[in-house]
Amino acid sequence: MTKKILLLSLCASTSLFAQSELEELKALLAQQMKTTQALQKRVVQLEKKQTRQTKETKKQAREVQQAKKQIAVVQNTQEATPTVQAAGTFDQKSFLPDISLILDTSYVSRSEKDEALKHLEIPGIAHGIMGEHSHGDGHSHAPLNAHDGFNLNYAEVAMQSNVDPYLSLTGIFHLSEDNFEIEEAYGETTGLGYGLKAKIGKFRSDFGRINSQHQHVQDFSDMPLVYTAFLGGHGIDDIGAQIQWTLPTDTYIMAGFEALQGKNPTMYGTDAIAPEGDEETIVVDSPNQPNLLIAYLKSSFDIDNTTFLYGASVAYGESRLNHLTDEEPHAFVAKSYLYGADLTIKHYFDSYSYLTFQGEYLYRDMDGDTYTYTDASKTSFNSTPTTKEQGGYYAQLVYALDRNYRFGLRYDNINTNDITKNGLSLTTEDNFDRYTAMIDYTPSEFTRFRLQYNQNNAMFNEEGERQHIDSLILEMNLAIGAHGAHTF
Amino acid sequence: MKKTTLLLTLLSTLVFAKFNVVASYPYLGEIIQKIGGDQVKVKVLASAKYDPHFVIPKPSLIPTIVRADMLVANGAGLEIGWLPPLLKSANNPKVRIGSEGFVDASRTIRLMNVPKSVSRSMGDIHPEGNPHFDTDPHNVLPIAKLVAKKLMTLDAAHKSVYAHNLKTFTQKWQTFLKGFDAKMKSCKGKKVIQYHELYNYLLKRYGIRSFDSIEPLPGISPSSKHTLELIHKMNKEHITTILQDPYHEKKTAKFIAAKTGAKVVILPHDVGAVSGTKSLEAFYNTIAERLCH
Repeated sequence: MTKKILLLSLCASTSLFAQSELEELKALLAQQMKTTQALQKRVVQLEKKQTRQTKETKKQAREVQQAKKQIAVVQNTQEATPTVQAAGTFDQKSFLPDISLILDTSYVSRSEKDEALKHLEIPGIAHGIMGEHSHGDGHSHAPLNAHDGFNLNYAEVAMQSNVDPYLSLTGIFHLSEDNFEIEEAYGETTGLGYGLKAKIGKFRSDFGRINSQHQHVQDFSDMPLVYTAFLGGHGIDDIGAQIQWTLPTDTYIMAGFEALQGKNPTMYGTDAIAPEGDEETIVVDSPNQPNLLIAYLKSSFDIDNTTFLYGASVAYGESRLNHLTDEEPHAFVAKSYLYGADLTIKHYFDSYSYLTFQGEYLYRDMDGDTYTYTDASKTSFNSTPTTKEQGGYYAQLVYALDRNYRFGLRYDNINTNDITKNGLSLTTEDNFDRYTAMIDYTPSEFTRFRLQYNQNNAMFNEEGERQHIDSLILEMNLAIGAHGAHTF
Repeated sequence: MKKTTLLLTLLSTLVFAKFNVVASYPYLGEIIQKIGGDQVKVKVLASAKYDPHFVIPKPSLIPTIVRADMLVANGAGLEIGWLPPLLKSANNPKVRIGSEGFVDASRTIRLMNVPKSVSRSMGDIHPEGNPHFDTDPHNVLPIAKLVAKKLMTLDAAHKSVYAHNLKTFTQKWQTFLKGFDAKMKSCKGKKVIQYHELYNYLLKRYGIRSFDSIEPLPGISPSSKHTLELIHKMNKEHITTILQDPYHEKKTAKFIAAKTGAKVVILPHDVGAVSGTKSLEAFYNTIAERLCH
């Protein structure tokens, strides 16, 4: 009975395999048998030798093992041969760049309604920095945590890999519900030597301290007030080139220079000024581009378990700030300097616990003209010589208790606001402050929950009355994939 | 004449400046010093006092890497959280990853605990395998050989010096290993748990069984549930030793010890991690003494 079944199944199997395939397989099998035999012979030989010579025992034992392994491999492949396919021949999987996805989402409870926030301003300095605002081209834009209730701040897709032996490429894409933004996309040298490093593309400038840090590594859920007020929610994030030089000294000293287009819509801008709806009657030309030049010097040293990092930065460019579609139409054209000084002190108690102080002072000097329409027909302009000298700072303290918990306090103030028109100084407010406290919980390196409270006393309504806005933000930040480590 | 000799000596100091070698961790620095001798200037980036996974990429480390002629890393992912940004900032072609001067010590070691598949749901695991091979003194010689080979290629002028130093060190170390193996013999069959899987290479070589770790998953802080399971397991299996590294919190280990009567043994994970472990020999001897007494 069993014999019959065997015979039948054999017949069936032979009819299933084509004749040629069978022969091929047979040939393969024969070949592998030969290899096996050869290897087995070698094992026997080696084993014999081993008994004779005691000196080289170890080495031979390894060889024997290897030979045995090869036999095992051959025997394994004997069974697997018919199914082996050359599927991986041109496989490029190992060249995939590091890819990661970072999600930032929050729940916000605020004492002001969303629509009221839009009309608030820091008089003479910034308006529309809280809440959603429109750029006038139908493209609306919301800063982080703009809405009461739930916010999808961003899903960040980051890719990074070496291009060739000389360059690496980094792309960081911010996706929000309706927008795609290239936050950064740049090529960077990997081994220029002599302490030099160069970058070309779109990138966050190394001006100051916090400007180059991505939101998900910052210690608070929002940017410092002075940054948002002077440079907008993204800071200086622009297209251009950067070169940095680490001096050949024992102490870390780095000098950097950047030439950028200067498109920052809050402080610089590159578009010519023309009356609304009449783009041909240009009143002020666009500036020469690259419009924004930045230089900085940074240095760092350690004393025992404390690291000091400090720097000074300067940025110069022309301003073309077009607010001709606003409720009070105006444009501001100026030559603008921005100065920054920063200090970070980090003290480590152990591997996971530390205390960090971080503070920056920004000061800007803008010298130019304000353009306003002469009449309701909106065809001709009056220009008024205008200067703005404004400055502000933030100071923050973050204490990491262990790997999981951190506590932070921050104080923001814009304390200088000197504006002159026609050489006469205006009476302006100059004490715009904000208090922030946060606790964050990091159960693993890839998850962070943060609870942040802030009281913002910097915003004024259209009647010129100071507002006190309380915000409670519960933020969740998740990361997956391969994301490179961050700098200090 | 005097001027020319002065100039020449100045020039010669520039030309014959020492060969700069940077090590990621102290134990590598020690090995490099043994092989390099007077010909090299060794600088170590990380302090042994801190968790080797979480070294802070201090800017003050950048100039050291800028000037490096060769950099020796532990590899197997141990430096992934801090060395890449420093290398990026330094932009030194001599020690760029993939260049001749970037030396990955893990390449000489057959790594243990290589996961078949990886997911972050398993905690912060290294896909390459367990990177903590430095706790086994038998892994010193393969690394020393690699360092010597690299030094001989990159600083060919002093080839004979490095070859000689390697020979001397190999002999010395083999003698040391004999003594060390003898010390560890008494430990065979011992049952332990460890905080993080830092000592697997050592434990495996000397037949010591590690049952579990205090961390429920690599890189994840202890949980009460896992700690209670551990206590149960230790009582059942009669495990009497808890291996604790110097840098993690010691509360959990002490708690478990109080509940099980086990002993907490603080083992250094690197040269200089605890007092009296300034040299390679002292480091390993401290491990043997603390573990086998």
